[in-house]
Amino acid sequence: MTGNYRKWPMILFLGILTAPIILMYFYLFVDTVTNSPPGSMIPNEWTAEHWRFLFTTIPGRPSIWTATLNTLLFATTTTSIVLVVSSAAGYALSRLNMPGRSLFLGGVLVLHAFPTVTLLIAIFLILQMVGLYNTLIGVILVKTALELPFGIWIMKGFYDTVPWEIEMAGLQDGATRFQVWTKLVLPQVKPAIMALGIFSFLAGWSEFILPLVLAPDNNVQVLSVYLAGLISDDTNFDMAMFKSVGVFYVLPVIILFTFFQSKLMNIYSGGNKG
Amino acid sequence: MGNSNAEIAASGRVSAPDLRGGAPQLTRLQKIGNSRHLGLYLMAPAFLFVVLFFVAPVLLTGVFGFTNMSTATGISGGAYLANQSSMRALRDKHDFGELADQINRVVFTIDEAGLEAAAQAGASAATLKELNAKFFGQSFGKRRDVERAIKTLDNRPSSTRAIKAISKHFERSVFNIRFDSADDLLAALNKFGISLDPQQQAAVIDVTYTGWVFTTDNFKRMISLPDTRTTLYNTLFYVFTTLILFNVGFALVLAISTHYMDAAPAGFFRSVWLLPRITPPVLYVLMWKWLAWDTGFISAVLGPFGIAPKNWMLDSPTNAWTFIILINGMVGASMGMLIFASAIKAIPTSLFYASEVDGATRAQQIRHIILPQLRFPILFITSYQTLSLLTSFEFILLATEGGPGGSTEVWALSTYFKALNNYAGSLEYGYGAALALVLVVVGVAMSILYLKLFDFKTLTAPPKIE
Amino acid sequence: MRILLDNFTKKFGTLTVIDQMDLEIHSGEMIALLGGSGCGKSTTLFSICGIHKINGGRILFGDKDVTNITSQERNVGVVFQSFALYPHMTVEQNIGFPLKLRKESASEVKRKVDEIAEMVHIEALIHRRPGELSGGQQQRVALARALVRRPDVLLLDEPLANLDATLRLEMRSEIRRIQQETGITAVLVTHDQVEAMSMCDRIAIMDAGKIVQISEPREMYNNPVSDFVAGFLGSPPIAFLQGRITDGIFVEPSTGTKMPVNADIAKRANGGEVRVGIRPEFFQPGAGAAIKGRVSFIESQGRETLYNVTLPDGNILRSIQGSQSSARIGDEVEWGVDSSQMLVFGRDGMRL
Repeated sequence: MTGNYRKWPMILFLGILTAPIILMYFYLFVDTVTNSPPGSMIPNEWTAEHWRFLFTTIPGRPSIWTATLNTLLFATTTTSIVLVVSSAAGYALSRLNMPGRSLFLGGVLVLHAFPTVTLLIAIFLILQMVGLYNTLIGVILVKTALELPFGIWIMKGFYDTVPWEIEMAGLQDGATRFQVWTKLVLPQVKPAIMALGIFSFLAGWSEFILPLVLAPDNNVQVLSVYLAGLISDDTNFDMAMFKSVGVFYVLPVIILFTFFQSKLMNIYSGGNKG
Repeated sequence: MGNSNAEIAASGRVSAPDLRGGAPQLTRLQKIGNSRHLGLYLMAPAFLFVVLFFVAPVLLTGVFGFTNMSTATGISGGAYLANQSSMRALRDKHDFGELADQINRVVFTIDEAGLEAAAQAGASAATLKELNAKFFGQSFGKRRDVERAIKTLDNRPSSTRAIKAISKHFERSVFNIRFDSADDLLAALNKFGISLDPQQQAAVIDVTYTGWVFTTDNFKRMISLPDTRTTLYNTLFYVFTTLILFNVGFALVLAISTHYMDAAPAGFFRSVWLLPRITPPVLYVLMWKWLAWDTGFISAVLGPFGIAPKNWMLDSPTNAWTFIILINGMVGASMGMLIFASAIKAIPTSLFYASEVDGATRAQQIRHIILPQLRFPILFITSYQTLSLLTSFEFILLATEGGPGGSTEVWALSTYFKALNNYAGSLEYGYGAALALVLVVVGVAMSILYLKLFDFKTLTAPPKIE
Repeated sequence: MRILLDNFTKKFGTLTVIDQMDLEIHSGEMIALLGGSGCGKSTTLFSICGIHKINGGRILFGDKDVTNITSQERNVGVVFQSFALYPHMTVEQNIGFPLKLRKESASEVKRKVDEIAEMVHIEALIHRRPGELSGGQQQRVALARALVRRPDVLLLDEPLANLDATLRLEMRSEIRRIQQETGITAVLVTHDQVEAMSMCDRIAIMDAGKIVQISEPREMYNNPVSDFVAGFLGSPPIAFLQGRITDGIFVEPSTGTKMPVNADIAKRANGGEVRVGIRPEFFQPGAGAAIKGRVSFIESQGRETLYNVTLPDGNILRSIQGSQSSARIGDEVEWGVDSSQMLVFGRDGMRL
């Protein structure tokens, strides 16, 4: 920052602390395309055998492509609903007069911090009762609901930064409140919608507990549950293949992260995970 | 006014613009788009979601916590079943021993169903016809009685074995039969000549019901079990150690040390430390397992030094906890890092310059310029992360499954094991919900506390367009 | 179009911001609502355009009561302090937006946009976005957008506050030109008396939610109804002296200088305590009753020079003179007050 202190001690210090993470990610990628002799960490040959799961279905598991499709469906549907519902609700909370507005606001704020996993048992039983257990729709609805308070909160925050005068000008120009929202205000919060969309997609893509509990069956299985199932199967232990599945699974995440890092940094600092 | 509006709405167009001015009139759609209720329309979907998936589950967790719901009782209504254990309960709990014996007893009734079954089994038509004619509708208390009756028939079977075979089809009992409703059960008993007074009826219904009932046993059990205390201590240890060491402590280290770097290395380190957060948990924990596995990285590195390979994550409770805290902490540190870093960035540069001109060392600058500015962010992270750590169990489930020997089982995980997943396969929804209810109560209390940290008044400033 | 505020009252919660105001704005005139911050001038403007709902009284446009109709139905054009241009639209789309909402045909929209763009001199800019325009250009776009659908009234909320000094001067005359060309009734909200005086037909000066005086600029400057109005108008500001009027003569207490006042005022003052206001242009060397003091501050404004003269009791009189004057700081001077131009106020601050 300022030039009065030496920088290299800080870089060295943090470099040492960061080394294990870099090491783990380095070997995550290296191990998927190489073999190492027993007891050694230094690979001695290239191989593609760890990626065989792409072409042959592992016994007792769904096809990786089924799981991928399910995950994609799960993440994109959740994201779309979250975007639509929270941009509407966020606007209402930020800008509109309505009965119970501050109650809604307080509620959203409390729910935003509220530990949702504590509701898992009740949600599990509800889904069983209404017949949505072991369906993608059920787990999509639940995931959407749990993402919503955060989404609404973020959107409300972004709407708050749009100048009131833009809305006033819109009204004077003859627009209804609804037109003001769709034609004047929504275009101003496009970056927010983009960021929230990416965030929700990643959250959906990574989600594990909800599909594990609410939709564990093979035909509705998502990649996280698929991978966890592989790992916990003690009879068929193959670390290099697990890592390959993992790399396959994490690729979209890495790509999104690389392209939208700054946007995500913003939203993670208001984040809701661990 | 109402009239002309209706006309315009019906014709579906806005009135032609008046070039000299004059206000345009609005269609009905525009009225809705303008109405005071627009906010409610826009809120409605969110409201529906919140009611269905937050309000209802919170309330139902409260309800379920006071039931004995489990895989055995099912989640919808149960059936009525007279069996060994329910009759024992009838004898012991209600003191109707005689009645229990009576229900237990088998009777033989000559009826349509029995005759048909016997015919299917190949009994002679003549025998059955005569049996029908002479004894239809009669009941016999003992097998011997019905056999004797069959023997009196003209067309009786020749062998005793055949007589026994026929008599078997007329054996009638309520024993081990599931009845959908209490009325069905009582009707069946009545059919066998067992009539009950209201008191007896109530007792029978009580003991034969297999569905779930309301009870406070869950909480008595929670308090009396020693496991509860262990889990509680585990939880507190886990939450506060992770919080202090990583979510706040290491997050500060990251934010402050990257502050003293150029933009490029700072950005690099922040990105790397965000990786654990954006990596899906299943894969993230898999990488740790690779590190700790007995053929994994640690074992391979330590091998040449004569240390035997072992599973470092699960070989002792201490190691298990070390890994759990590292795994959680590395994810948790990044949120604090981002928030602290942006708070440091908000400190005016001139303050740093001034302190350096005044001769401050780096440690003094951190102590006197940076840390005082971070007081509120630290408070925020502490309260927020306490709550999320308290209720998160994903990483522990994936890494150690609470092991070795339950030594890393925290409250949320134990809830999950009790109600949603265990080896025995008997899921105790009621007890799990009771455990979850404790977390819900703590969660609500802490969320409200968290709300107070915000300046709620400014958040709810009234809209400027009236 | 004539605008009438009749007994207009506005509250925020329990706080009454405007209390029973009456104001009539003539058709085609430009009127300024002038006052310090918090005096209620913006609230009045927002009530006229319907962003605020009023708590009492009526608002009439012409003969039409618009009290309870929405902003969209009032046909009012507003230019906001921050201009409030839609950042995602080009200049052309910004100006055409009100017409598009009325579902006018594309060719009609284009014709009107071009016409108004020409009037406000931004023809060359219509394909740019607001972010690519200077403050003055944004201001012109905002004006064009407000005027394009021929509103009954044009409201301007501190339209020059966000511009730098030279642009402010330019836009002052531009806004006035456009208002006069279109003949539209206009309301200007401002805290700057120079703006109000230079741009408007009449000024309504406001204080604490009430209109204190409403007059033409010259008249208000010459004949303020109270010391508040006298103090608000004029730059450099008027100076006040405290004292008594006896036998038709005001005696400056610290120097004993005698300044005759006219008989009418003397009668009304009736020997009581008064404040007299002396504008800088009426405190000049060789004019009227000479008063002694020491030059304590000199501010050269180029063509003119402003002097502060401190009297023995610490009161300060201001004088503005041509630059040929040669007084220096610390000089003892004896300049005269044109007592016929003195403004005399009673103890309650009202003009006598």
